[in-house]
Amino acid sequence: MSYRIGIDVGGTFTDLFLWSGDSDAETFKVLSTPQDPSLGVLAGLRAIAESRGISTAELAAQTSLIVHGTTVTTNAALTRGGARTGLVTTAGVRDALEMRRGIRERQYDNRYTNVVPLVPRRLRLAVPGRLDCTGAEIEPLSLEEVRAAARTFRAEGIDAVAICFMHAYADGRHEQAVAEVLREELPDAWLSISSEVMPTIRFYERVSTTVLNAYIGPVLRDYLASLLSRLSETGFGGILLIMQSNGGVALPEVVRSRPATTLLSGPAAGPRAAAAYAGALDHEDCLLVDMGGTSFDASLVRGGSAALSSDGEIDRLRIALPMLEIATIGAGGGSIGWIDAGGLLRMGPASAGALPGPACYGRGGTLPACTDADLVLGYLDPAAFAGGSLPLDLDKSRAAIAEHVADPLGLSVDEAAAGMYAVINTNMAFGVREVTIKRGLDPREFPMVVAGGAGGLHACAIAAELEIPTLIVPRTASTLCATGMLLSDLQHDFVRSCIGPLASIDPTVLAGMVDSMSGEGARQLTLEGAESIEHHVALDLRYLKQYHEVTVPIDAAAVVSGDLEAVAAAFHAAHDRLYGYDLADAGTGLELINVRVRSVGTTERPRLPRLEHGGPDASAARTGERRAWVPDRSRFESVPVYDGHALLAGGVIAGPALIERTDTTIFVSARYAATVDPLGSIVLQVREGGHA
Amino acid sequence: MPEPTIDKILVSILGRALKAITDEMSLTMEKTTRSPILCEAKDFVTGLYDAEGRMLEQTENLPILSFSLGPVCEFIAKKFAGRVYPGDVFFHNDVFTLGNQNNDVACFKPIFHGETLVAWAAAKGHMADIGGNVRGGYNPNATEVWQEALRIPAVKVYERGELREDVWDLIFANIRLDIVAEDMRAEIGACTVGERGLLALIDKYGLDVFERHKLALFDAARSMIEAEIRAIPNGEYKGEATIYFDGKNPGSTYQIRVTVRVEDERVTFDYTDTDPQTNGFVNGTYTSSASATVLTFLQMVNPDIPHNHGMIQPLEIVIPEGTVLNAAYPAATTFGNHLCPPNADAIIRALAPVVPERVTAGWNNLLCSLSTGDHPRRDDAYVDILFMGLKGGSGATCDTDGYDHIGMIDASGGILDQDYEMFEQMTPHRLLLHEYLTDSAGAGQYRGGLGVETRYVVGSDDTQIVTFGDGDVEPAFGLFGGGDGTLNRIELRLPDGEVRVPTSKDLLTGIPKGTLYVQTAGGGGGYGSPHERPAALVHKEVRDGVTSPEAAREQYGVAIDPDTLELDEATTAELRG
Repeated sequence: MSYRIGIDVGGTFTDLFLWSGDSDAETFKVLSTPQDPSLGVLAGLRAIAESRGISTAELAAQTSLIVHGTTVTTNAALTRGGARTGLVTTAGVRDALEMRRGIRERQYDNRYTNVVPLVPRRLRLAVPGRLDCTGAEIEPLSLEEVRAAARTFRAEGIDAVAICFMHAYADGRHEQAVAEVLREELPDAWLSISSEVMPTIRFYERVSTTVLNAYIGPVLRDYLASLLSRLSETGFGGILLIMQSNGGVALPEVVRSRPATTLLSGPAAGPRAAAAYAGALDHEDCLLVDMGGTSFDASLVRGGSAALSSDGEIDRLRIALPMLEIATIGAGGGSIGWIDAGGLLRMGPASAGALPGPACYGRGGTLPACTDADLVLGYLDPAAFAGGSLPLDLDKSRAAIAEHVADPLGLSVDEAAAGMYAVINTNMAFGVREVTIKRGLDPREFPMVVAGGAGGLHACAIAAELEIPTLIVPRTASTLCATGMLLSDLQHDFVRSCIGPLASIDPTVLAGMVDSMSGEGARQLTLEGAESIEHHVALDLRYLKQYHEVTVPIDAAAVVSGDLEAVAAAFHAAHDRLYGYDLADAGTGLELINVRVRSVGTTERPRLPRLEHGGPDASAARTGERRAWVPDRSRFESVPVYDGHALLAGGVIAGPALIERTDTTIFVSARYAATVDPLGSIVLQVREGGHA
Repeated sequence: MPEPTIDKILVSILGRALKAITDEMSLTMEKTTRSPILCEAKDFVTGLYDAEGRMLEQTENLPILSFSLGPVCEFIAKKFAGRVYPGDVFFHNDVFTLGNQNNDVACFKPIFHGETLVAWAAAKGHMADIGGNVRGGYNPNATEVWQEALRIPAVKVYERGELREDVWDLIFANIRLDIVAEDMRAEIGACTVGERGLLALIDKYGLDVFERHKLALFDAARSMIEAEIRAIPNGEYKGEATIYFDGKNPGSTYQIRVTVRVEDERVTFDYTDTDPQTNGFVNGTYTSSASATVLTFLQMVNPDIPHNHGMIQPLEIVIPEGTVLNAAYPAATTFGNHLCPPNADAIIRALAPVVPERVTAGWNNLLCSLSTGDHPRRDDAYVDILFMGLKGGSGATCDTDGYDHIGMIDASGGILDQDYEMFEQMTPHRLLLHEYLTDSAGAGQYRGGLGVETRYVVGSDDTQIVTFGDGDVEPAFGLFGGGDGTLNRIELRLPDGEVRVPTSKDLLTGIPKGTLYVQTAGGGGGYGSPHERPAALVHKEVRDGVTSPEAAREQYGVAIDPDTLELDEATTAELRG
C-alpha cells in the first residue's frame, strides 16, 4: 500500500486528504495548533492511522508523498510576527517602502492610518552606489558604508536583511556585493536579495516584495525544520512538497529560498481541485467560492488552471510575485448583522469569529451572525451541526436577531433573518464580480464550484444573483484545498525585466533570457523528480507611452526564433480582448517590459474516487423534512431533507431541498435541481425558466 | 389604494449594487485610458444619475471633479428635453454651464428602459490637452476662457447610436494630442458599462420597484447626514483663508470668507463676503468651488454614508457670481480646482471651535511641476508631472496623526507617486532623493503628516518646467496649540551656479542639462499641545530621523542627546514643567 496525503493547515482546522488508490479517498479534519502547526499535522496523521487501525509509524512508512499547504508565513505577515528585519537600499529612496506611493485607501476618512512598515525607518539604511536604468554604474558602491550598516544591524539584533537597489533588475552586481559583505559580517542573518527574488522594474513593488520575503524567511525556515524533524521522527521517508501561492508545488529547499511564494500556500490549492471536479463534467473553466467562518474567497479557473496575477497585496502590503488571484471579502458564518445610521441593514465585515461566535453557539455571543440567520431560516439542524459536536441554540439566535435587526427595522424575526441572508448573499456576489466582471468576464458562463463549511447554504442565492446556471458542490467541499494539493503540478515562475521598444530588442538577448530561466526551471524540476517538463513563455508588453502592461503568453518558438511579428500579433489580440480595441493598424510601436517563464513539471496524479451508481431515485436517502425559508418564493415551506452520505451517483433531487453532510449542508433553492455526479459532487442546475 | 411598500432589505441591496456598477465604470477608465494623469494618477470620476440628474452613486477617485456631474446632467436633461434618444452620447466641459474645469471633459450617456429615459451614466476625466493657447491647458497668462480651452457646452457626439463625425472632427481638430480622443472613447466605454449594469438591475426588480426604492435610498443617505448636522450646534460660524498670487501680480492676495450657518438638520455655506475675481486664471467656477465645499464637509462626517442625492440635499452653497470662487463669464478659470485647499481651510477654521472632534488641522497645499523636453536615449519627447514631489502631509485630528505624504485635500490620497525606476526610464532625469522631510510635520499632541523632499538632475538641454499651485507663502495651520507645517518650495540650481526659484504659477524655459531640481512639499498642521505627545513617541521619531533632536527639545519639550539619541527623562520633565 502506498499512501499520498494532502495537508492544509488553516487557522481553525487542519484538513487532510488521504489517497490510497483509485477507489479509496478520505478526508479528515483536526484542530490546528497555531503555536506550532507541525503538532496539528502530526495529530492529523495520527487520526488517519487510527482510522486505518495502524500506527503512525506504519502510516509514515507506507506514505510516498505528502503535499503541505501552510499559513505560517501568512500569519507572520498578518500578525506582524516575522523576523527583526533590516533593509539596505540606494541612498535617497529608503522611504519608498513606507510611503506606498502615497495612497490612502479611504479618501474621506481622516482617521485611517498608514500601514506600519515591516522595517522601521532607522533600520532602513541607505548606501552610496548607483546604477542607471541600463545597468551601467554611475557611482561605485561604498563597501565601507555596507560594513557600517552591518554593524548597526548587529547592534540591533537583526535576523533578516532585505537588499534592494535602484535598477537592480538591470544588473544585480551591487546587491551581490552587499550580500557578500553581509554574509561575512552577519553570518546568521537571513538575506533577501531583490535581483534574485524578483528582478523586475518598479522599485516600490520590488522593495515591498523583497522586504516581505525577508520578514517571513526565518519563520518559514524554522517551521520547515521543525516539520521535517517531526516527520522524520515518525519514520517518513517519502517526498515532502510545499504548496506555493502560484498553485504549484515545490521542494522545501526551493520555497525556503523564496518564502514569499508561500503567502497563499493554503488557498492556492483550491482551484486545482475545483478544476478536477468541474473537469469531470467537461468544464474547463469555473469559478471557485469558499465561504468559511469569517471570510469569503472567490477565484477563477481558466483552461484547467488557476488565474494568477502579480497585482497582489496581503494586509495592504504589496507583493508582486505571481500568485492566485483571489477576492476576499469579510463575509462568513460569523458575519454580524447591524443597522447603520441611515437605517440600512448591513452584514459584516465584523465577525463573531469562533469565540464568542454566533449567538446560537451559546458561548456568550449576543450579536446576530449569519449562522444565526441560517438557523432561524431552517437551513441548519440545531442538533446535527458539525456532526452533532456543537448543538445550536435557536432561542438565542432569535433573541439576538430580534434585538439588533428585527425590532429596529419593525420586521418579524423571520423577515429579519431572511433580510440578513439576502444582504450577505449580495455582498458575496460582489466578491464574485471582482474576479469576473472586473476582468471583462461574464460570470454566467462559468459553473460555480462551492467550497467551505458555509458555502452550500448560500451558493444558490449567490448564483441566482449573478444568474449562474450551474453549481458544483464537490464531495470534499469542506476540505477542497487539501484535495487540490495532491492534484497540483510542480511549478516555478521566473521573471526578468528587459525594457525597450520591441522592434529594437535583440532577439538573441531575448532568447538567452528565456533559455537561462528555462534552464533554472528544468534544474529545479529535475531535482524534484518531475516526470515531464514544460516551459511556458509570456511577455509583458504595452503600446509605447501606455503605463499598464498586458502579460501575453507567447509560443516559445516565436521568441527563440526572433519572430517579433507573431509576438506583436499576440499582443494586439490580447489588448483587444481585454480593453475592446487594438492599434494594430495605427502603426503604434510596442514596448517590452518583462520576460516570464513558467516551468511546470508533472508527476502521476491520483484519480479522484468514484461513487457507486444508483439511478435517479434518491428517495432512499430522504430522512425527513423541515420548515425552511425558500427565498425564490419568499416564504417558509416544509422542505425535504436528505442524507448526503447516503446519496448515490445519478440521484436527482428537485429544489427546494436540504442535503446534509457532517461537515456541510447544501440548500437547493426552488429554481435549482440537484443531481449526484460520478465523483459524488452535488450538481445544481437551474430549472427551466429558473432565472426568468 | 394602499401605500406602495418599501422593502428595506432591497434598499440595502440596491445601494450596494449601484456602487458595484460605478466601481466597474471606474475600473474601465483606469485600465483603458492612455494619459498618465488618468491611468496612473486616477484624475477621473464615474457616476450614475436618475432621469432628472439626481445622483444615484459615484466613484470619486478625485473628489474635486465629482460634484459637478449631477448639476451638468440636470442641465443637459433640461436643455435637450424631448431630444434625447437611445444611443446618444454627450460631451461637456463648459465652465459657464456648470463644468468645474475646462480640462475635465465629461461624457454623458442616457439610459433608456424600453422607451423611457430612466437614468444617465457619466464619466469625467482630466484630459491631457483641451486646446487653448498652451499645451496641457495651464496658461497663467490667460485672461479669458478662449485662451485656455475649447468650450464644449454640451454637444451630441453620437445620436441614436450613430457617430456624428463632423462634430467629433470639430472637437478633436482643436485639441493637440491624439490620446485625448482615445481617452474620451474610454469614457464612452465606461458609460456603456454603467448602462448595461443599471439596466440589468432595473430588469431584475422592475422599473416601479426600482424608482420607489431609489427614493428610499436617497432618504436613508439624507437621514444619515441630517443626523450628523443636527449634532452641530445651531449658529453662524465664520472662517477665512488666503489665496496667494494670481499668476500676474506679484504679492497679490485674495480672501475667501465663508459663513457656515447651521439650522437644525440643514447647513448653508455662504461665500457672499469673498473677494472679487482676478483678471488672471486663478478663479473658481461655481461647481469646482462647491465640490471643494462638499468634499471638505464630507470629511467631517461618517465616511460610510452612501454618496447619492440624499447626501447633498441638506447642504446649501451660496457663491455669488463675480467672486474669486465663481468668476463671471468669460473669465479664465483653469486654476479653479486648486482653490480647494484655501476653501477647505476657511471651512475648517469656521467649524473647528464648534466641532473640534471632527476637523483636521490644515493640510499641505498643492505645489506641482511638469517637465517637458527631449529624451535623447529614447529619441522622443516626454512629458512628466512630478506627482511624487507634490504630495505633502495632511492635518492631524483630535486623536490621529496626520497622514504622511498624502497630497492635497482635493485628492486625499487618491493620486499616486510615479514609480522611481519607470521615471528614469520614461524621462531623461535621474532621481537623487525622495524622502520624508525631517521636521516638516506641524508639532502637536497629534502631529501633522510629513512632507517630502524630492531632488532630480535634469537630463537634457532646453527643458521646460511649468509650476502651478500655492503653499509657498503660508504653511498648513496647526489647531488648539498644534504647530504649523512647513512651506512648499521649488528651486533650480543651474550648472553655472545660478539659482532660480519659480513663482507658484510659472513657466521656465531653456533649463540646461545637469540642473539640480529641488522641491519640498510641506507637512500638515499639528493638533493639540506638543507637550502632550508621549515622550517615548517623540523619542522613536527622533531615532527614525523624522524629527530632529533640536525640534524635539524646542517644540515637544523632549530632551534627546543628539549623539547617542538617548532620551533624557529628567530634563524632559523639567522642560515640560
